[in-house]
Amino acid sequence: MSFFDLKGTLKPLTALKQFGKKPHTIEYPKESLEAADRYRGLHYNELEDCIGCGNCSTICQNKAIDMIHIAGIEGSDGDSGLRPRVDNGRCCWCALCVEVCPTGSLSLTKDYLYVSEDPNSFLFTPGLDNPEGKDNLSFTTTEEESLNVFNRVPMPELEGMERVKSFAEVVIGYNEEMAREEAARCISCGLCTEICPEHMHIPEYINAIANGNDNDAIRIIYDNNPLPEMCGKVCTRRCEDVCAIAVRGEAVAIRWLKGYATSTAKTADITYEIVNPEINKPNGYKVGIVGAGPSGLTAAYYLALRGYDVTIYESNKKAGGMTMYGIPKYRFPLDSLDKQIDYIEKIGVKINYNTKVGKDISFEQIYNESDAVFMGVGFPQPWTLGIEGEEAKGSMQAVNFLHEVNDGEQIDVGKKVAVIGGGNVAIDAARVSARLGADVTILYRRRVQDMPADWEEIEGAEQEGIHIVPQTIPVKIHADENNKVTGIEYLMSEMVADDKGGRPRPVAIEGSNKVLQVDSIMGAIGQQADYSFLDGKFAEKIKIERGRIVVNENQQTSDPKIYAGGDAVNRTADAISAIADGFKACKAIDKTLVGKTD
Amino acid sequence: MKDIKAKLTEKIKASFDTVSEKDYNGNRLDFHVDVKIIPQILTFLKVNLGYIHLSHISCVDWLEEGEFEIIYILWSPVEKLKVFVRTRINREKPVLPNIDMIWRQANTYEREMREMFGIEIEGLEGAEEFLLEDWQEMPPMRRDFQTEEYAEKTFWSREGREDAIDVREEIIKRSREEIPDFAKKYSR
Amino acid sequence: MREKATTLYFGPQHPGITGNMMIRLKVEGDTIIKATTEVGYLHRAFEKLQEKRNWLQSFTMMCRFCVPETDPMEELYARAVEEIEGREVPERAKYIRVMVLELARLASFMLWYGGQNGSLGLYTMGQWSVGDRNYILDLFEELTGGRIYHMYIWPGGVRRDLPKGFEGRVLKTLDYLEKRLDDYDDLMFDNAIFKKRTQGVGIVDKATAVEHGVVGAVLRGCGIKSDIRIDDPYEVYDKLDFIVPTSDGADIWSRALVRRQEARQSIRIIRQVIDTMPGGSVYNKIPNPQKWKLPKGDAYVRAESVRGEVGLYVVSDGGTMPRRVHLRGAAYVHGITLLEDVLVGENIADVSAIMNSLGTCPPEIER
Repeated sequence: MSFFDLKGTLKPLTALKQFGKKPHTIEYPKESLEAADRYRGLHYNELEDCIGCGNCSTICQNKAIDMIHIAGIEGSDGDSGLRPRVDNGRCCWCALCVEVCPTGSLSLTKDYLYVSEDPNSFLFTPGLDNPEGKDNLSFTTTEEESLNVFNRVPMPELEGMERVKSFAEVVIGYNEEMAREEAARCISCGLCTEICPEHMHIPEYINAIANGNDNDAIRIIYDNNPLPEMCGKVCTRRCEDVCAIAVRGEAVAIRWLKGYATSTAKTADITYEIVNPEINKPNGYKVGIVGAGPSGLTAAYYLALRGYDVTIYESNKKAGGMTMYGIPKYRFPLDSLDKQIDYIEKIGVKINYNTKVGKDISFEQIYNESDAVFMGVGFPQPWTLGIEGEEAKGSMQAVNFLHEVNDGEQIDVGKKVAVIGGGNVAIDAARVSARLGADVTILYRRRVQDMPADWEEIEGAEQEGIHIVPQTIPVKIHADENNKVTGIEYLMSEMVADDKGGRPRPVAIEGSNKVLQVDSIMGAIGQQADYSFLDGKFAEKIKIERGRIVVNENQQTSDPKIYAGGDAVNRTADAISAIADGFKACKAIDKTLVGKTD
Repeated sequence: MKDIKAKLTEKIKASFDTVSEKDYNGNRLDFHVDVKIIPQILTFLKVNLGYIHLSHISCVDWLEEGEFEIIYILWSPVEKLKVFVRTRINREKPVLPNIDMIWRQANTYEREMREMFGIEIEGLEGAEEFLLEDWQEMPPMRRDFQTEEYAEKTFWSREGREDAIDVREEIIKRSREEIPDFAKKYSR
Repeated sequence: MREKATTLYFGPQHPGITGNMMIRLKVEGDTIIKATTEVGYLHRAFEKLQEKRNWLQSFTMMCRFCVPETDPMEELYARAVEEIEGREVPERAKYIRVMVLELARLASFMLWYGGQNGSLGLYTMGQWSVGDRNYILDLFEELTGGRIYHMYIWPGGVRRDLPKGFEGRVLKTLDYLEKRLDDYDDLMFDNAIFKKRTQGVGIVDKATAVEHGVVGAVLRGCGIKSDIRIDDPYEVYDKLDFIVPTSDGADIWSRALVRRQEARQSIRIIRQVIDTMPGGSVYNKIPNPQKWKLPKGDAYVRAESVRGEVGLYVVSDGGTMPRRVHLRGAAYVHGITLLEDVLVGENIADVSAIMNSLGTCPPEIER
């Protein structure tokens, strides 16, 4: 290189050709840039859609998101009532909060600039403080893109036509790998625990399963539910209805996971070893319990743990109440039931079987011998259809039919069966009849979508070849000369909107009479209580309204020494509510007698 | 690649009989060695076997096991193989031999290890302070150094965020759920 | 007469310093006789913080290790996690990753053009290249939602598929940039001042390079052909056709020549990627991040950034959080021991140019 580099001096001057060209920059604020469609700007939250699960707050690695109360938003079932507030001084706009939002209510907007001299203005509640953000959304998630796992691990089941051949359990249950995977879908928000009547510690035991600590899961479950075998198989699981994941996907299989956890303890002895219950020294108090259904068993278990001398009086030869006699064995097998009853007896609960209160022992005797009495008597009496010909042979009540089948009796239902009703009892009776070899038809007053039975049960019934004829009102049972059922006559109905805003009512269409030829007819339109065991004095003392025993918030009846729970008390009529009643009564009894406040 | 790995293992074992190896998929091979022979084996790899590039030195605190693990990652541009030389030293009194005469840049790694993990490097030259200034606490990359606790002690929180509520606790309060203590670690 | 040595504190706040760091220079007149680096102004303890965050949360921190070129860090983390877990990545995602990585390299070259020239007082170049870099950032904004911190390449693939018509806009930008690179040549490589200030300055010869573990353009600038993309190929680099330029001068000028060609190679790679990109999904979904556990194990992965080899060592103890994340950037070996050695004998005025040429990036050193 020479001392004077001519080319090197002149070449850079070509830069002059750029002179006068349009610059890269724009004239702000005369012009402004529109952010890209995916730009990650400030947050916007659709407050109506948000359920306050707090998953955004959990994922935020900068702790920029607080969950707070907002005026005008109250918590409800499946909504914590809290909403996220973002500290934009900490936010790094990674948008993970958006990616994990189960409802899709949270998104980011196209805001390029946010300038303020007031530091407090950087702390704001998306959606509340920037309602205009709704028209400016950019970074959002679809079900596909979301980091929530919306699809449930499929539950292995027996194939439909295979099931009707036997009473083998239909739901095979998760294996370990499936359970871990399913448990890992839970976002631990805990919205489910509020709607659970018993407030089971759902996120905790699911997390324990996800972490591989099944024993801890069992311990957590037994903290307030002594019948998880049953709940893990047939619970009405309202928890799953409010699952945060269910907003855009399939709810976490809370029930199956509980079932999985309990199934890892094969026998009552192993369960005892794992739970290792702390049983208090006897405190000298005696509690008598009428009925070994879920509420009675629950009260008995937790009272026994607290040192009470507990005796249950059960009219049947087995404990479990409706869960024993009302639920078919393909849903809740006998060995599972036996295991949980064994376990409860193991900690010192005495159960007097085949002892009908009012017949084998008087209620008064129990009352006098005990320091407190708990009644979990349920609804054993079915409502009858109230139509002509109901006394014919072959016409029966579904509940009684299930009871007898579960008791091991052989019942001939013939070739064709009609079941009347749309609840779980109707479906159970239909599916049991199918297993006895019958061709089954369900007649229901309203539409299929109005059936109160679990959709899984309805689906299961359809898979097993059961016909469902909706919008039918039975009017007459036909019988032959031997008074044997030959068919059922019914009217078709149409749904009429209710003027008062209630759900649509079925109204019979005149002249639409049809007859279905059947050998058996089962009514499943509801049950009621049987309070005949309460003799004169108590019948007066205990307040009963519309068939239900009236109790206060401590499950205490109008006689302060008598507590009650279960179907005969609550309106939800499911096992988990009965368990909740039993647990509440136990705590109230303990508080009254011992004065403990826990 | 299999042959290369086998030959390398053979050569290493011929010179250092206490070494154990672990093979991985792809171009990775691990050697577990005693800390005493670290300088020798690294020199041997560099000078005799062509592993001329020291790609990385890392330290992992296995607090529960009471040990630090030091990982030297070497690369041969000829054999295209990543060799991990791993050693474990006692966490209580951690001492490592200096290797910055083999690779000059090791000096930086070692200064950082000394500062962040409190490992004494025999004969290391270079300023005591590397990234930290007037540090009074325990070496901060040790697992038992509590970041959050330190941050709370050192800095202050922004005002106006005290009304934050934990969702789980809100639900517990509302439904009067009673969670046993042993279960609380499973709440989120 | 021998001049008395004096100490000059260069940085930490200095327009010629890349990032915040300080060099204590012992000088005699204009000549440096000893240089001591002092870092610690940018330590953010990311690696420690990542140990307290779950596998997904940690991902958002990776891009912060080095601001000018954030994507190799994200890609390394994703690849390390995938290696430990054995997670498959869809083919399309790999192509998109390479496209993003190469766009990031281009953007980083643009910044280097500006920095290298700015350190010599040639400011026009910086205004041009940083302005042109914005067109790449526009593409990033469209693709990832962020201009600098993309947080786009994550374990399992990439976060979102390409927007409609994106490839066309990339090609258009590449055409524009290719033309601009010719303009840069006129202004920079044909510039007498640039030649004079860079030739024979900041020598890193072969022996020094091997002794110091030098990587990247600095190594190629002294005639050693080495590139992780070829030597230890990742993603789909083994399916792409590109050359690794070298130069023998071992000075700033040679390293600039290498980078000049590498920028063009990046354009070439992106065009190939767009031509051959397969369809399909872009993301193999991870489980619920809160409960996402990785099996016990470790992985060391490397990528070629503009500054050279970047390595990431990740250890899992089987839990929901990393046991250890340890990044080794090119600047970690270039910015301390090598810089201290190279500066001896150079002029004070060349310190900035040498730092830019070595790719000293304090955020990457301190992490």
